[in-house]
Order: sequence, then C-alpha cells, then structure tokens
Amino acid sequence: MSEIDSKQRDEKVFELYEQLLEIEQRLIPTGLHLFGRPSSAGEQIDLFKMIASFDRPEHGIRALPQELVEDAVREFLEHGSDAATRLLEGQGLKPESTRPVFALLESVSAKLQTNTEIDALIRAIRGEFIEPGPGADIIQNPDVLPTGRNTHAINPYSVPSAVAFARGEVVATSLLERYRNEHGRFPEAMALVLWGLDNIKTQGEGVAQALWLLGVQPVRDALNRSTSVAAIPLAELGRPRIDVVMTVSGIFRDLFSPTVQLLDKAVRLVAQLDEPLEQNYVRKHVHEQIAQERCELDDAAVRVFSNAPGNYGTNVNFMVMDSSWEREETLGDLFVTRKCFAYGRDSRGRAIDGREARVAMDRALSRVEATYQNIDTFEIGLTDVDHYFEYLGGVSKAVEKRARARPAIYLSDSLSREVKIRTLEESVRLETRTKTLNPKWYEGMLKHGFRGVAEIENHVSNTFGWSATADAVDDWIYAEVANTFLFDETMLERLRELNPHSAHALVQRLLEANGRGYWDADSTALEKLRDISRSLEDQLEGVA
Amino acid sequence: MNITVLYVGSSLLAPLKNAEQEINRVYDLNLRVAAYNFGSPLSDGEWAEVERDLAQANVVFVIHVMDGENASRLIQSLKTHKHDAVVVINCMPELMRHTRMGRLDIGSVSRWVPKFKADKKRKANHGHYLKLVNRLPKVLKFVPTAGAFTDAKHYLQLFCYFLQPTPSNIQSMLLYSLKHYVRDARLKRVKVLEVQQVPTVAIYHPDAPELFETFEAYEEWCAAKKQLALDRDSTLGLLLMRPQVVSKTTKHYDVLIRSIEAEGLSVIPAIATLMDNREAVSKFFVDNGKSRVSQIVSLTGFSFVGGPAMNDSAAASQFLRDLNLPYRSAVSLDTQTIEAWSDSATGLNPIQAGMQIAIPEIDGATEPFIYGGIPGRGQEPVALEDRCTRLARRLKRWHNLQTAPREQIKLAIVLFCFPPSKGNIGTAADLDVFPGVWDLLKRLKEEGYRVDVPENAEVLREQLLGGNSEQFGSTANLAYRMSPDEYRRLCPYVREVEGDWGAVPSKIPIQGISLANIFIGVQPTFGYEGDPMRMIMARSGSPHHGFMAFYTYLSKVFSADGVIHFGTHGSLEFMPGKQIGLSSECWPDRLIGELPNFYVYSVNNPSEGSIAKRRSYAELVSYLTPPIENAGLYKELAGLRDLVQAYRQSNSETERARLYASIEEVSSELHLN
Repeated sequence: MSEIDSKQRDEKVFELYEQLLEIEQRLIPTGLHLFGRPSSAGEQIDLFKMIASFDRPEHGIRALPQELVEDAVREFLEHGSDAATRLLEGQGLKPESTRPVFALLESVSAKLQTNTEIDALIRAIRGEFIEPGPGADIIQNPDVLPTGRNTHAINPYSVPSAVAFARGEVVATSLLERYRNEHGRFPEAMALVLWGLDNIKTQGEGVAQALWLLGVQPVRDALNRSTSVAAIPLAELGRPRIDVVMTVSGIFRDLFSPTVQLLDKAVRLVAQLDEPLEQNYVRKHVHEQIAQERCELDDAAVRVFSNAPGNYGTNVNFMVMDSSWEREETLGDLFVTRKCFAYGRDSRGRAIDGREARVAMDRALSRVEATYQNIDTFEIGLTDVDHYFEYLGGVSKAVEKRARARPAIYLSDSLSREVKIRTLEESVRLETRTKTLNPKWYEGMLKHGFRGVAEIENHVSNTFGWSATADAVDDWIYAEVANTFLFDETMLERLRELNPHSAHALVQRLLEANGRGYWDADSTALEKLRDISRSLEDQLEGVA
Repeated sequence: MNITVLYVGSSLLAPLKNAEQEINRVYDLNLRVAAYNFGSPLSDGEWAEVERDLAQANVVFVIHVMDGENASRLIQSLKTHKHDAVVVINCMPELMRHTRMGRLDIGSVSRWVPKFKADKKRKANHGHYLKLVNRLPKVLKFVPTAGAFTDAKHYLQLFCYFLQPTPSNIQSMLLYSLKHYVRDARLKRVKVLEVQQVPTVAIYHPDAPELFETFEAYEEWCAAKKQLALDRDSTLGLLLMRPQVVSKTTKHYDVLIRSIEAEGLSVIPAIATLMDNREAVSKFFVDNGKSRVSQIVSLTGFSFVGGPAMNDSAAASQFLRDLNLPYRSAVSLDTQTIEAWSDSATGLNPIQAGMQIAIPEIDGATEPFIYGGIPGRGQEPVALEDRCTRLARRLKRWHNLQTAPREQIKLAIVLFCFPPSKGNIGTAADLDVFPGVWDLLKRLKEEGYRVDVPENAEVLREQLLGGNSEQFGSTANLAYRMSPDEYRRLCPYVREVEGDWGAVPSKIPIQGISLANIFIGVQPTFGYEGDPMRMIMARSGSPHHGFMAFYTYLSKVFSADGVIHFGTHGSLEFMPGKQIGLSSECWPDRLIGELPNFYVYSVNNPSEGSIAKRRSYAELVSYLTPPIENAGLYKELAGLRDLVQAYRQSNSETERARLYASIEEVSSELHLN
C-alpha cells in the first residue's frame, strides 16, 4: 500500500472516529418524567459534565476546560467539591475560579434529589402563591430548579441579549461557510424558522442569527430595550448581506411582538442601504422586484411571515399524521397558506398586523437557496415532536416548488461547546442513531410501558414527517426501525403486550413509508409487516 | 394661548380637558390644551397633527415618554420650534435633556426626580423617594423665586403638581407654567394655588366620600355604611393606580369593585405609589403578619415593584412568596382605545403586551384579563362591564377553592390524546401521565377532597380506555352523552359553532370517567382527522361541537370548581381569538369560561406555556424533564468503535490494513460514510 493511500486511510478512520464520538457523546433524554417524583437519574455524570461546560457570566461562572471536565466531575461526584477543586488546582486552575462551578453542581444535585411538584399543584388548588420561575433546560439554566413553579417567558424587549448576539455571529458565519464549501458561493437568500422556544431560552440567538445574516445590529434605547437596528458596515461584515425570509411561529409572533417589528425594521433598513447590489442581496432582490412588477417597496420588502392573527401552526403536521395528502407539494402549499401573513410596519409607519401576503411570500421563497433552524436543546429534538418537520420541513417543501430546486437544509445546535452546522439528513441520522434505534433510549421509554410504546411510535411518525416534507430519511433508517421493533420477536411481543394500539400504528406508518416511496423495502420485509399488521388488528378486535 | 401635552397613560386626558375648561371659565386666556397619548408609535397622519400643535404651543409638557421611536421624532421636532418652556417629566434621558425652562440645567434637579433608566444593580427604593417628594413642597417654600435656583424651583414645583394629579393640581400645573414662562399681560392676575397633598397610600372606595388613610377607618366605614365585615374569608385586596384615583378617573375601578361585591365578596381597594406596591400591601392587606385578604388583584397593569419603567421581579416574587397570597394582574387598556383593541385581531399592542403582561408574569401574576380602557372618543377609562362580571366571577371561583370545604370541591383533570387513538391517551411531552395522575388522586384524597382512587395507575388507565368505549366505538370511556337540547340550553355559542361545523350531532360524547368529585376527561382534538378541507384553511374555525360540549360539560354539568390540564400540551389555548388580551369573542376565553385553570407543564417549554397562561388564564405548575445522559454506542456501533481504536493504536502497517478492511465493512453496514 502506497504512502498516500495509508494517509487517506488514516484520515477516513479519523473522520469515522469523530462521527462515532459525536454519536456517543450526544446527550439524550432517557425515559419520561414522573410528576412529583425526584429525577430517576442514577448516572448524573453526563448531565453534570454538560452543566460544568457552560460559561455563565451572569453568575460569575467559567466553564471548566474540556480536557479536565470529565475527571473533575467524576471527582466531584465521588469525593465532593473540595476534592474536585483540589484536583483542578493541581492542574493550575485557581480554586476561586472553579469553586463556583462545584457550588452550582451541588445545588443542582440537591435540588434533583427532592421534588415538590405535587405539593405545588395542591398548593395552587388551595389558592396559595405559586412562585414564578424561568423556563429552560437544566443545562442552559439550572435556575429552572426546583420545578413546581409558574414558568414565565421573558421581557421581549431584552432580546437579543449581548451574549446571544455574540453567539449569533459565530453561528451565522459557520452557516454561510458551510453553504459556501458545498456550493462555492454564498446563498443569496435563506429562509429561517424562528420559534419562541429557543429564543426565550437563549435570549434570542435565533433572532441574532437573522440579524447577522442581514448584517445589522440591534440598537438599545435608554431603557435598554432593543427597539432599533443599525447596519454593520460591509467592510466590517466582509461578505454580502443575505436576504432572509423569516417564517415565524404564531407563538414567537405573540411572545416577541416587538422583536417581529425589529426584524421587519432590519429588512427595510438593509433594503434601502446605498450599497452595490452584489454585496446586498436584499437590496438586489427588492430592486429587481420593484423594476419587474412596478410595485412599491412595501410590497417588495416583506420578509416576516406568520399565521393569520390569533391562529397557530402550519397544519402540515396534522396532514402528515392523518395521511391525508396525495402529492408532497400539497404540504408546502399548506405551509404557505397558513404562514403567508405579513407582520411589521409599512414605510409610512402603519402597523401591518397579519396582512395576507401570499404573493409576496411566494416571491420571497422563490429566491431561497437554503433553509435553516436553530435548535437550542437536547431535550426536544427533530423527532421528539411534530413541530420541527411541520416548520423546517414545511418551508423547505414550499421553497422546492417555488424556487424549482430543493434548498440545502441546515440545523445548528446552540447548546454545544462548539458550533456545529449539520444538514438535515445528517441531523436525522444522528437523531435516529442516538434515540430511536438506541437501546438506551428505547429501553428507557419501555420502562414506562404503555406510554413508552406510544413515544416510540411517535418518533417513527415524526421521522416519517421528514420524508414527507423534505425527503431526508435514508432507506436504512426504516429498515432498521423494522428490524429493531418488529422483526425481533421478543421486542414485538413486548410492544403488543404493552400497547397494541401504538404497535399497530407503528406498522402502519412503515407500510405507508413504503407505499409513498420513502422506503424501498424488499418484498419479504413487506410481507412480514403485513402479517404483523393483520395479527395486531386481530388482537385489537379481540379475534386472536 | 396653547399648551401641548405629550404623555403616556390613561389618567391625564380628562383632568387636562377639565382644567382647560375651568381655566377658560375663570380667566380670559383663550387656552387650548392639545394632548396626545404617546403610548405606542404614531402614524404619519397622527404626527402631522402633533407637529401642527407643537408649532403653536407656548408650553410643551412631555410626560412618561419612553418609546424610542416617538421620542426621536419628538426630539427632532422640539429642535425646530421655539417654545416658551418645554417641561419634560419622568421620560427617558435623551428627552429629559430637552427640558427648556429659562436657564435650568436638568441635572441640577436630578436628585429629586426618579431616573427612568434601566439599571439592574439599582434596587427599587421608592419608599425613600416618595418621602422626599412629600417634603419637597415645604422645602420649595424656602427657595427664593429669584437668582440661580429660580428655574429649578419652578421645575420642581411643576413636578409636585404632576405627582398629585388632582383636578386642582393639574389646573395649577398648567397655570404655573404659563404664569412663569409666557410673557402675556393677561397672566398677571392669575393666581396659582398651592400643591394639594394626597396621602401616599390609602384605601379608596367609590361609595365613600374620601380616601381612608388607615385600615381601621375603612373597616369602620364598611361596617357602618355597608353592614360589611372585612374578614379574610370574604375579602379581596385590590391595587389601584394612584394617579387615576387622585385625578378622579376611576369609572373602570368603580364598576369592577361593584362587580366583585355583587359576587358576595368584600374588597380593600388600595392605592399604591406608582413604583412600589409593597408599602400599601403591608399596610392594608396584612395585620400583624396575618393577611386580611385571600388574593391580591393588581389593576395597575404594571410590575409589582418598579412601576412602568423598570421591574424588580426578584423583590416582587420574594415579597409575594412570603405573603403566600395568589397574585392576579388584570389590565385596563392604556395605550390603545377600547375600539382599537376590540377591532384588532391581535389584541393588545406590543407595548402593552410587554409592559402589562410579560413583566407582571415574571412577578408571578396570573389572570391577564382585560377589564377596561379608554373609549375612542372618551377621555377617561371606563369599564368593560361584561368583562368585569366575568373577572369577578373568576375571582369568586378562585376564592371558593380557598375557602369552601374540601369535600365539596369538584375538580376536572383533563388529559390529551394526539393523534387520537387509544394508544395515545395521556399524550404529554416527557411525562408518563397516568402514574402522576394517580399520585395526584391519592394526594387529593389525603387532603380531604372526595375521590375514589383506583387500585393503581394501570387500573386507572384501563378504566379510562376501557369501560363502555367498545360499545360506543370511542377512544375512551364515555362519561356522558350530551343531548342537543341540553347543549343548546347550556352553551350560548352553539349557533356560531354550527356556522363552522354544521348541525349539532344527535348525542355528543364526553370522554372521561368520574371518580366521585374528581372527573378525568380526555380533551377532544381540533377535529381535523380525515378532514383535509379543514386543515387547508388559512384561518382556523371555531372549536367543534365535541370540544365546545366537553368544556360545557365540565363547567355546567359536572360543575367543576377548577380544571387541571395535565401535561404539555392541549389545544384549547390555540383556538382562534386575539393573541393576547382576549375578549368575550375569543374561543379560548369562551371555553375556559369562569373556571380557574391549572396546567401541569414542562419546565423546558416556556413559550407554549406562556400561550396557555395568556390565552387560557392558566397557572402553570412546572415539571422536570427526564434525566439526560450520553447516548453512548451500542450493538455494531460499539464494535466499530473498538475496531477504530485498535486501528489508531496499532503500529503495524499490515494490522492496520487488515483492521481497515473490517472497519470499511462494518461502517458500510452501518451506513456510516
């Protein structure tokens, strides 16, 4: 074997090694919570490592160095804070810098050992005060403990926070780099999905990413509220301004109404900057549209879309779950029907509170080359809920028809140490490997019996949603689902024992995946599935 | 003579208009007072009017303006016109600097006026501040009206009038500014009254001739005039906005107070300082550490500690926790008219949504209920009478939960099921619902509520899934089948639902089981299943008959005192209606009706949880998410890792080549490329 071959080989093995590491170290929820009971986690080291890996400037806490965190947390769990502090001191870390980390871990550990949720509910019913508390993942914000509190949102004027804005730059840059590596140039236009969920928890990282893509920064007024925007000079930005179509959840629209105004303001500002068109794609597109359609700026600069006022959701998830569509493009059209309501303010200062703007949205989406959503959490992943595919899948399907090309679809994790941009396909594979097919995950679910089977079925159906909206699921994923849950006799018996209704729904979903052409299954597999389906039907009807 | 007033709030317009009339009646000044509410960004048309008035104004007052957009337009405009005086009070710093009164340097009076500036480190200490302000008029008497301090004295004098906006003080404020800054012979004979003082905190009642400075005085009056005893089991504490009581713009309060009294409850309506409610609460609602009220209902629409411009939520929630009284915050429309709100599909405008909903929530407030506002052509807030009745009844229900004998209290626990199938009963993010519900039932029984607790969680589930469900072909047991007659009789919205969903079905199934005084029901879904034509509507319709009947059943047939939605999340709060600041036309408001709503909700979903709080008046009780662990490697993935490690550790080229072949094989089987 030649020297070059060996080198390539080493590189390939290293890539594989990194991929395995990514799977292995990915955090997943294991099982379900029992209301009122303490966390059942026996092994808390992974959670604590993650908590210790976060900078928390608001509490004066610095993350432990990556190479030391494992040993330090292990020492903490076995011998307590002092021992862990000493261990790090031996590595040259000052105790005063590490002690706050362990104080935090101690507090989290103590709070996880008790649970007062039922007490809180009883107190609420008796009419006592239920303390307010923040809402987030434990890792992001350990202050969510203790639970049993009245969760609140945040002051919408506070987003994006300075930290979120700084992180937004890194993500936006990585995102554009990834696209450029794959396509040789920057995308002229992108569609972003913005939710309340991650923007509350990250104080507006999703918002910050949108602003960075446009190349603007928030400007705060005397009350420290983000009420305005200013352009970042092109020289400083070092790249063109990207045209951003923002599809905003009804929840974001409600919780962040001032932010919706801010985003719209940002687009209008960028559209009117006196800059070369090849450096400002918003201006370029707005100019083109005004010239072609002889329309006004107010028609051409619409980029913030959500539901009709007082309405929520795309219904794409309902349609997918209900199997009630024939052609996939119907799902994209449905997304636009539900989401084509414009928000912001026109150039004369009048509020646009959900004006139906289907033509404007069609036009804006027709230029889109990449779609993207920020994910802030390990707790709510791509296949845990039907909302990711209804939004990111829905908008991507809508782009596919309007731009006559499937967009590149990206996601990022904002809860990791390093920013990592993944394609949708990569994300679905990672999610499937770490959750749906992972015994640690599904056995954790099956401990909960009936509900656990329903969870497994839901994950498969949500995965199916990514086929329907984005054709992003490999054949092998469906095949492995069938192998793991249905073609393994013992497993099948367990499922039908615990929850035959959901087991049946799971088989039906796999058959549907095949029927719709998302899974090229072999005939033996199909025959087996049909048999299982029949026998489950018999069981449910009380025949067998 | 012209005065233009640009302000934010709802208590100034009427006193200004009255003052204008009164001044013109007494003096021949031909005074015109133009006033604009700067509560939300103005349109171009509105700005044109403001500009016209600013061009003619002798004196301009700018009060409580904190919106950057209006402010920057105003600053531009103030630069272009010449005025005899520009008096800026309690505004953002950029505006404060535009105060123009003779040679006044606004910095010189800053010790006396609150800084409307976000500053996290500065803890609210408004008690201190108010005491200063109380002393101020006395101090000012000794400052000569000549020399270096003249303009500072005038500014502070105007500030004192403004702080106690009684009709007389507002009149004086206008006259004082004219007299000292406008050169006009007619002003020579104008006599300006001294500042009329009003107590810092007090109790107000619409039927009483004056304010009460002590609880005892109020109690005495109640006993004599209303034959009412103010015992804890029948009394609510209300917090009113001081400027509105002082300026006698209290119609909205009066109606709400009477609505609550009509429900058989007493009230202690306290006026607090604008900045901090703690003093009033401690003075009037608490007696030697024991509370005199069962709930605190803030009608100020602002944060509990900090007022309109800032909030000290930590101080607020700590104070309320120590008091252990539920805290509600109901809203009167301040920066949009009743018509603008009522016609709006979105509801509250962003400014109010942020200030009057999002921030009180952080203090721990529930019940973001709209009960009043300023009508389009009106000058002062009025009540939305039907909403006052509804709010009063909701408060009464909350009150019952606190005071009624436990064995009489009926509770409904609502579970979800999506997509509808037996397998999905108990849908909830990250939660195993049945064991939790069963634990709750057990606990409720221990607490004295009447409930038949099934043997275990499995039995509970089987009762709900099984029962008569086979007979009726339903997902769960049918607890009730509502006849169309009964449905029509009990539910006032049937016609509207028929408009969207057609005729009422012959028997409407209510899925659930009754366990003595606890009902466990399954919330119907949106009802889109098998009906793609409904899914493709841009605007969703009303809830379907089954959904409407389910909640009608809970409140009117089962007669629940409260409802617990169990797990993240259901559909009620996503039904069409305004987004925030609901009206009686909104479906979530109609569905939840008068029922206190508790919602067991995942702590990692503050966003959808907030929709439940705002659109279905839910009090959330958060639950923990499942344990988090590394995914780890399993089956062939673990084997592959071993191969990769062996490869990386090996020094032998032949072994590496052999290992590589295996690695390639296994990784391609695993679809890892």
